[in-house]
Amino acid sequence: MFFIIGLGLGEAEDITVKGLEIVKKAERVYLEVYTSILTVGKEALEQFYGRNLIIADRDLVEQGAHEILQDANSKDIALLVVGDPFGATTHTDLVLRAREAGITCKIIHNASILNAVGCCGLQLYSFGETVSIPYWSESWQPDSFYDKIAGNRRRGLHTLCLLDIRVKEPTLESLTKKRKEYQPPRFMSVSEAAGQLLEIISRRHRDHKEFAYTGTTLCVGVARVGSDTQQILACTLQEMKDADLGPPLHSLIIAGHLHPLEVEYLTQFSESKEKLLQIAKTS
Amino acid sequence: MVNFTVDEIRVMMDKKRNIRNMSVIAHVDHGKSTLTDSLVSKAGIIASARAGETRFTDTRKDEQERCITIKSTAISMYFELDDKDLVFITNPDQRDKGEKGFLINLIDSPGHVDFSSEVTAALRVTDGALVVVDCVSGVCVQTETVLRQAIAERIKPVLFMNKMDRALLELQLEAEELYQTFQRIVENVNVIIATYSDDSGPMGEVRVDPSKGSVGFGSGLHGWAFTLKQFAEMYAEKFKIDVVKLMKRLWGENFFNAKTKKWSKQKEDDNKRSFCMYVLDPIYKVFDSIMNYKKEEAANLMLKLNIELKAEDKDKDGKALLKVVMRSWLPAGEALLQMIAIHLPSPVVAQKYRMEMLYEGPLDDEAAIGVKNCDPNAPLMMYISKMVPTSDKGRFYAFGRVFSGKVATGMKARIMGPNYVPGKKEDLYEKAIQRTILMMGRYVEAIEDVPSGNICGLVGVDQFLVKTGTITTFKDAHNMRVMKFSVSPVVRVAVEPKNPADLPKLVEGLKRLAKSDPMVQCIIEESGEHIIAGAGELHLEICLKDLEEDHACIPLKKSDPVVSYRETVSEESDQMCLSKSPNKHNRLFMKAQPMPDGLAEDIDGGEVNPRDEFKARARYLGEKYEYDVTEARKIWAFGPDGTGPNLLLDCTKGVQYLNEIKDSVVAGFQWATKEGVLAEENMRGVRFNIYDVTLHTDAIHRGGGQIIPTTRRCLYACILTAQPRLMEPVYLCEIQCPEVAVGGIYGVLNRRRGHVFEEMQVAGTPMFVVKAFLPVNESFGFTADLRSNTGGQAFPQCVFDHWQVLPGDPLDASTKPYIVVQETRKRKGLKEGLPDLTQYLDKL
Repeated sequence: MFFIIGLGLGEAEDITVKGLEIVKKAERVYLEVYTSILTVGKEALEQFYGRNLIIADRDLVEQGAHEILQDANSKDIALLVVGDPFGATTHTDLVLRAREAGITCKIIHNASILNAVGCCGLQLYSFGETVSIPYWSESWQPDSFYDKIAGNRRRGLHTLCLLDIRVKEPTLESLTKKRKEYQPPRFMSVSEAAGQLLEIISRRHRDHKEFAYTGTTLCVGVARVGSDTQQILACTLQEMKDADLGPPLHSLIIAGHLHPLEVEYLTQFSESKEKLLQIAKTS
Repeated sequence: MVNFTVDEIRVMMDKKRNIRNMSVIAHVDHGKSTLTDSLVSKAGIIASARAGETRFTDTRKDEQERCITIKSTAISMYFELDDKDLVFITNPDQRDKGEKGFLINLIDSPGHVDFSSEVTAALRVTDGALVVVDCVSGVCVQTETVLRQAIAERIKPVLFMNKMDRALLELQLEAEELYQTFQRIVENVNVIIATYSDDSGPMGEVRVDPSKGSVGFGSGLHGWAFTLKQFAEMYAEKFKIDVVKLMKRLWGENFFNAKTKKWSKQKEDDNKRSFCMYVLDPIYKVFDSIMNYKKEEAANLMLKLNIELKAEDKDKDGKALLKVVMRSWLPAGEALLQMIAIHLPSPVVAQKYRMEMLYEGPLDDEAAIGVKNCDPNAPLMMYISKMVPTSDKGRFYAFGRVFSGKVATGMKARIMGPNYVPGKKEDLYEKAIQRTILMMGRYVEAIEDVPSGNICGLVGVDQFLVKTGTITTFKDAHNMRVMKFSVSPVVRVAVEPKNPADLPKLVEGLKRLAKSDPMVQCIIEESGEHIIAGAGELHLEICLKDLEEDHACIPLKKSDPVVSYRETVSEESDQMCLSKSPNKHNRLFMKAQPMPDGLAEDIDGGEVNPRDEFKARARYLGEKYEYDVTEARKIWAFGPDGTGPNLLLDCTKGVQYLNEIKDSVVAGFQWATKEGVLAEENMRGVRFNIYDVTLHTDAIHRGGGQIIPTTRRCLYACILTAQPRLMEPVYLCEIQCPEVAVGGIYGVLNRRRGHVFEEMQVAGTPMFVVKAFLPVNESFGFTADLRSNTGGQAFPQCVFDHWQVLPGDPLDASTKPYIVVQETRKRKGLKEGLPDLTQYLDKL
């Protein structure tokens, strides 16, 4: 049997009991490391589970699926995924391939940033489409997510922006070579994301009269959700550009239409209650 | 006996209207270097007695030994025009008022086709060309190649008919026959010129015309030459006719009756062609009297011609005397230098019309205006066309032309390589110029600074440029356009050190070799093999020798030469090819199809290129190749290297966010066209159409890491489903030989898959010229084979001509292309066998 097990968001102990039992008795256990990372390392997990883990990077999961699925007919193989298996990153393709090979799959769910983002007090019901903000390179600067944010904002919905992480991505130059070289790991912070978002509106300055958001729009930065060092900040987008929420992972929420209770809850993450009320009113 | 100093030259450099930058170009063995000696002797660097024997510009030992020019060499010379000749210069931009002196920067270039990249580099830095043609052999393949290149670079030609001594002494041609020969060569040259330019173009009249003095005649070996101007001057007084008018009379259908003293336009019984009568007859008489030892007659003639012999020459007779007499009567240097000063353009004139060809940036920025006006006070714009080895091993002088501003010792400048893109930092260095130098044949001289319009060398720039580049002080400057070579590096060898421990020396040596030759390519394959690619066997031989003896200084093991192939398709893909990205969320749907005949060549030639305005280009493609104009407007890329003869077209309809993956698709296309699926050779003549694209909704999941490899896989699948083919390079081979040897040539060509498409006798000579197409792969050892089968009487010149499909399906194990693919794969360290379609094609 092939198991895909969600690890939750924060520490080693966040795994579900059901998941833990499978991990303990499975033949091989892979740890997927490229779509997200835990705040604790692989060693901490191994110690807690009391067994060895095999690191599965992007190349292995995307191109070496048969290797992961090997013997899954007769033995138990598990793939550990940070968050929820069908959360921010979907592993549907792997399940499809397992099905093709006649392997039974079982999914063990867990918390994902998609629901844990509720920690900031914004209601999950009023979130619109989720977007990712990728790192820009000199020649590749997509901004299509702007339109999605605009769509959400038009309908008064909040937008959860997932921020790019580069755990082990090949460099652009080496993509067209056989020998791959990898970029150093990078994790986008809320301040970098805010910077890019502001860059987009300054670029569109000429052809748009009304923007989906401005520098004074209320947004919420969350960092290391689910861990003990979790940090949340509510401020304007402009202020977010200069904010420092510490080590990764970060996510950014651009607020839509706010319910009074949401505003009240957010005040605890702002510099002062008055200030937040002011921002909420104008944005 | 140097009759000018560096200081004098420096003064001249400021008089930009009195500068002539010129190259000497010709077919191999037509006598360029020998002729150049006459000029050098006139400017006085070597004693005039030895002119014709020294080959001053052949600076390398092997050049002197083999008697061929391998590297182009530059020299600066100073020459004063007489008052009477100054009236011939009418354009005020061709001469500073009151200045009689001219600074002539001359570049002698190789004639052998294998080295024609040196010619290209020489043409770039000059404005005029002295085209030398052996009047016995006539216009040959390389004459045409270099002339065509010169016209394309907007270089103005003048013509010189060399080796008249052979026509007179060996072939014993009659005067009328010789005139006809000359006439034919002038026509041939003008036909080539007219094909690539017309008189109404920006250069004005380009044709050469003996009656205007832009055609010279003579013998470089014997050191004499003339244009009609010299003879017109001799007779002007006698006839009381203006020199210019008389020159017109001395050429073409003009006949003179000596009895009635009447000119006529037709040949009649008792009149004679003026050119034969007034120009050739006196020369024939001198030849006849001296070579047949008619002492008295000779003495009379000399008296008539005002030739006084020096004491030591009086005892000479036969050929030696002939040389002395002819040289004192019609000194070659004088005639040639007059021709150059009068007919070739000054930088001021030339840069006006050359600027738009030379500069990539906007045609109205500071740099462009500076170049256009040849303004020494504008920002510096200098083009480095080649690297010249110094006596210091491993270091090079960067050789080039200052088009605008001044380059000075110690000045800080921007050094931009060919890959520099304005606004970016790649391929850009800001460094001080260590030293500026003047290059004169075997010597270099330091010089403080060099203003626009001049040619010079720089010290210390070689570390920042591979072969060529632009040097400027203008921070928004674009590059000067890179040179287009007429030959391609189609022959390659692999090298390795005999002693494996010498590998670092080899790598260093290869770097130096790559610098020292404008065209050679030194490549490290991923298998670790070191490859040297050159234009032909001789070119490679010289490169390998240089590498072994000068650059690496280690014994080398060399593989047999092999040729590069191209991968193409012969039909449209038989199915819509789908490839999915690694995360399976992105899907590309494409097809490949062959380009119509001629389009790949049009792209090579630049008629269709990525810089074209897209609507005009689409119209052209629609008219000439029946491409759908709407589709042709959406050409995403040319490849490989952004300019190659393969196209990527966007044929999708209404795909959202398509432009966000365009860069990645183009990158994958560049990669795939550079390393094709069959044997990782370049692709050629393939058009790829993108029909549909499915993308992940989120930008992060459709980045380069997902799209680039997928594009490559999809393109590979397109090729494999479109009846892939291999193309091999083919030489155009011109062979000169006497009639008896023609049979032997056919035998050799047949054995080597060559085919003759033209065979003709060179009019007025017993020589035959055979033209044939010969696959480059069959050309190794061809020269030797040909010689041994024709008793050493046939001399081939091979120049790369086109790519041709190698018949047979490379996917079928019984064909020749299959064997080629397997050999190439093995050599490159790739998996043997055939590429597997299922690796590239995904199922829905």
